[in-house]
Amino acid sequence: MNLRVHLRFLTALMSAIVLVGFTGCGQSSNNSGSDGADKKQGRTLTIFAASSLIDAFGELGKTFEKQNEGVEVKQSFESSSTLLIQIQQGAPADVFASAAQEEMDTAMKDGLVAGKPEVFVKNREIIMVPNDNPANIESFQDVANPGVRLVLAQRDVPAADYALQILDKANARYGDNFEKQVLSNVVSRESDVRASVNRVVVGDADATFGYASDYTIDIRDRVMVVPIPPDLNIIATYPVAALKGAKDPELAKKWVELVTSKDGQHVLQKWNFEPAA
Amino acid sequence: MKERGKEDFSPRVSPRSDTLASGLAVAALALVAGFISLPILSLVIWTVSEDSWRAMASPVAIDALLLSMRTTAISMFIIILVGTPAAYVLARADFRGKRLVDALVDIPAVLPPSAAGIALLLTFGRFGLVGRYFDAFGVTISFTTAAVVMAEIFVAAHFYVRQASIGFAEVRRDVEEAAMVDGAGRFSVFTRVTFPLAFPALVAGAVTAWARALGEFGGTVIFAGSFRGITQTIPLAIFAEFQSDIDAAVALSVLVLGFAFVVILAVRYLAARMTENQV
Repeated sequence: MNLRVHLRFLTALMSAIVLVGFTGCGQSSNNSGSDGADKKQGRTLTIFAASSLIDAFGELGKTFEKQNEGVEVKQSFESSSTLLIQIQQGAPADVFASAAQEEMDTAMKDGLVAGKPEVFVKNREIIMVPNDNPANIESFQDVANPGVRLVLAQRDVPAADYALQILDKANARYGDNFEKQVLSNVVSRESDVRASVNRVVVGDADATFGYASDYTIDIRDRVMVVPIPPDLNIIATYPVAALKGAKDPELAKKWVELVTSKDGQHVLQKWNFEPAA
Repeated sequence: MKERGKEDFSPRVSPRSDTLASGLAVAALALVAGFISLPILSLVIWTVSEDSWRAMASPVAIDALLLSMRTTAISMFIIILVGTPAAYVLARADFRGKRLVDALVDIPAVLPPSAAGIALLLTFGRFGLVGRYFDAFGVTISFTTAAVVMAEIFVAAHFYVRQASIGFAEVRRDVEEAAMVDGAGRFSVFTRVTFPLAFPALVAGAVTAWARALGEFGGTVIFAGSFRGITQTIPLAIFAEFQSDIDAAVALSVLVLGFAFVVILAVRYLAARMTENQV
């Protein structure tokens, strides 16, 4: 008896879920179906951008939608290396904005880029520690102290690559063991730079390497910056390009124009990026 | 009740629509089989054609496999040790709040593992509800192998406890009572009667739980982080390699596929032999 009531309830629940799911699908396919009928209404622009761009591009996406009525901007933020692999595997991206030249170069070599990429901003690395600074990191050198729980982004992620280059340079100043000591403090490798910064925000990590632009207003009450000596720092350059597979090349070009325009640069600088020129 | 049920389900259909129905059912099964085997085949084809076998013997792969073996073994040990008596109580005892506990056990099965990871982080992380007291004693759980085990137990325990309690519930009370009348104590009734009779259910539950623990990703990557040899289990290694070397990611997938296959076959074989011996 009881089992039957349960079964009936379960069936009803499942049917409800399936029904809601299908109507949802139906609606979205209706939308894409109207693409042809009313071209202005259904245009979308898909942007693959380095995770450090999430705030600035988020804001620019809204600007773009305002400037181009009826256009929907869809954005995917992950590490540039992950995005590159997804683009190589045929992901439907119209624009690629990378946090390093290397990923863009590979995309060009593979014939995925339309036109010439433009460097639109620069960025620099900083060290971030939790506000109460449990490992007492006062200067750049302190990240080599034994017992520091350091988090880095995954191998091949630009933020981690830049960090390694910085440590490489630092070896000359602080001794050949410096890089090795710092790397022996690494307790986790995160999928992208924002994930590693969040480890510090939550307070589980003592320090991480991130970009100046990652030190956003949202996290300033929880995170402190320890600067990297300017002569050791590496300047990150961000190239952007429309992709060959773009469904709407015109929109893709417009996005590149927006981020290199005065307005676009203004927004990017507001989020702590440095001008390219 | 049973009579009526029988009537309800009695087939009142002609032989012809019967054939059609069984044809459709067979087609459905073929669809299921194809949907599962094609992706597996694709993994193997990629591995052969790209010659990425050697990535299976890479240090990353070996560390990940060893870590996965170690952590899932520890997780299963704890799940079985604690989960067996817990399941027995759930099946046999009546107490206030049993429905609540019953529902609680099911939650990890429907909760997305990434949500579980966040929850674990907020509990056992350095500034977590419980973790802050551990931290005061110099014990940190996040970024350690212990965190991996905790994530695995959190998501997998349900599958063992649930199946085991169903298994225990199916053992008839009069069989147990008969043994007690014959002078056996409660504990020996459990070990000699209830446990052997529920054994197939326990094995089935353990295999499902182990498979779930082996595949655990979201909870681990959020709560434990990802570091080679310490917290980077096979699913995490696959994800990490996918971001830089897709051949290695494929090779790791094939490796874990083979590993899971061997383990499941071995457990089935052993369980079949053990039940045969008991009968």
